[in-house]
Amino acid sequence: MSNQQLGDFLAHSVELESEARERYLELAEAMTGHHNTEVAEFFGRMAEESRLHLKEVAEIAEGKALPDLKAWEFDWPEEESPETASYEAVHYRMSLRQAMLLALGNERAAEKFYRSFADSSTDEETRRLAAQFSAEEASHAAQLVKMLGKLPPDENHHLEEDDDPHMPE
Amino acid sequence: MNQIASAKPKDYKSAVKPIWCPGCGHFSVLNAITKAFAGLGIDKDDTVLVSGIGCSSRLPAYVDSYGFHGVHGRGLAIAQGLKVARPDLTVIALGGDGDGFSIGGNHFIHACRRNVNMTYIAMDNEVYGMTKGQASPTTAADWDHSKLTPHGPGVRPFKPAALALASGAPWIARGYSGNPNQMARLIAEAIEHPGFSFVHVLSQCITFCPEQTDWKAVVNERDEPALADADEAARMFLHENGFQTGVLYNAARSVWPPEQVELQSADITEGFRL
Repeated sequence: MSNQQLGDFLAHSVELESEARERYLELAEAMTGHHNTEVAEFFGRMAEESRLHLKEVAEIAEGKALPDLKAWEFDWPEEESPETASYEAVHYRMSLRQAMLLALGNERAAEKFYRSFADSSTDEETRRLAAQFSAEEASHAAQLVKMLGKLPPDENHHLEEDDDPHMPE
Repeated sequence: MNQIASAKPKDYKSAVKPIWCPGCGHFSVLNAITKAFAGLGIDKDDTVLVSGIGCSSRLPAYVDSYGFHGVHGRGLAIAQGLKVARPDLTVIALGGDGDGFSIGGNHFIHACRRNVNMTYIAMDNEVYGMTKGQASPTTAADWDHSKLTPHGPGVRPFKPAALALASGAPWIARGYSGNPNQMARLIAEAIEHPGFSFVHVLSQCITFCPEQTDWKAVVNERDEPALADADEAARMFLHENGFQTGVLYNAARSVWPPEQVELQSADITEGFRL
């Protein structure tokens, strides 16, 4: 039972970090294509953070029996894995502050997810790792809060399209 | 369908990067398709994505399988021809609401009627996005966000699921771009369905219809099993709000073309017997 709990937890952890990395990469590329450079660079940095965390989790999971789950078989608190930026929360004209707030929400969701395993698992190793991962996510969130504190407030920022639709004269 | 073990969703993505607006629901459909392929272990060499024209129809370029970016509204015609000629392939047609229900509307109803063993994914954002936000066949009658229809299009929008049912589609599902994991399951089930499977996807256009980001609050997953009775399904599709997701209708129907029985020489002799 313990092995099953640990394997299940690690499978979810690997998927969580992997999904976060891929979504941030996808967003960084899309923002680059839409010339929102500072947000693209920020999402690129978040993708790199996720890659490092994924590497750490994958090393821990190596050699352990992980269940082979399909994308729809993972048990997430919401529709997607907790650290994955939701599509409808993104806009190509979003500000750096908005991007950081989105990432902060993701980090806190991941922290809460890991914390739930740390608090509820009956397996000691799972509890220990979940607490460690949760603390790491909390530290990422704290860094983002610090960065947000240094950012000037958004002024006259709007998401609406400037370019009117083509009209027949 | 040949299967590949342990391929990851990202293994099914091509090196071409999407140029959709960040926040576009079509990213989610792309991810759902690659997740479904990984879940089923699909062999990309035996898989073809066929599309028409529009933002959503760019999708085949982003998947590492065979693909054909076809003519506006004609993705379904090309896909059906391909599947009939090569029944061994997994064939998926894709497109948007304008491509599928307006320019390609006739192909859509006949594809439903014909029931070739393939999947059609319609990414519905209720707008022509590629040409900068004009009303489409699924736009609400009072949608007045475009200067081309300042008082709204003023005509009733199509209900794609009802249209599919009335045209004879045997398998109808609805997904939502805010839930790519559920959508991946629906697409996997659609691919496995023996016949024409229609996946209607609520896929938001955050640029020209930013109000669609509110869909998350109204989308709900259907708990009940898919309806198998067409009368019951017709009542549901005509009266629902269009935001319930899941496999909504599933009825057995024989596929087209019917399997040909290869004649043996003894059969021919028998056929010519006086």
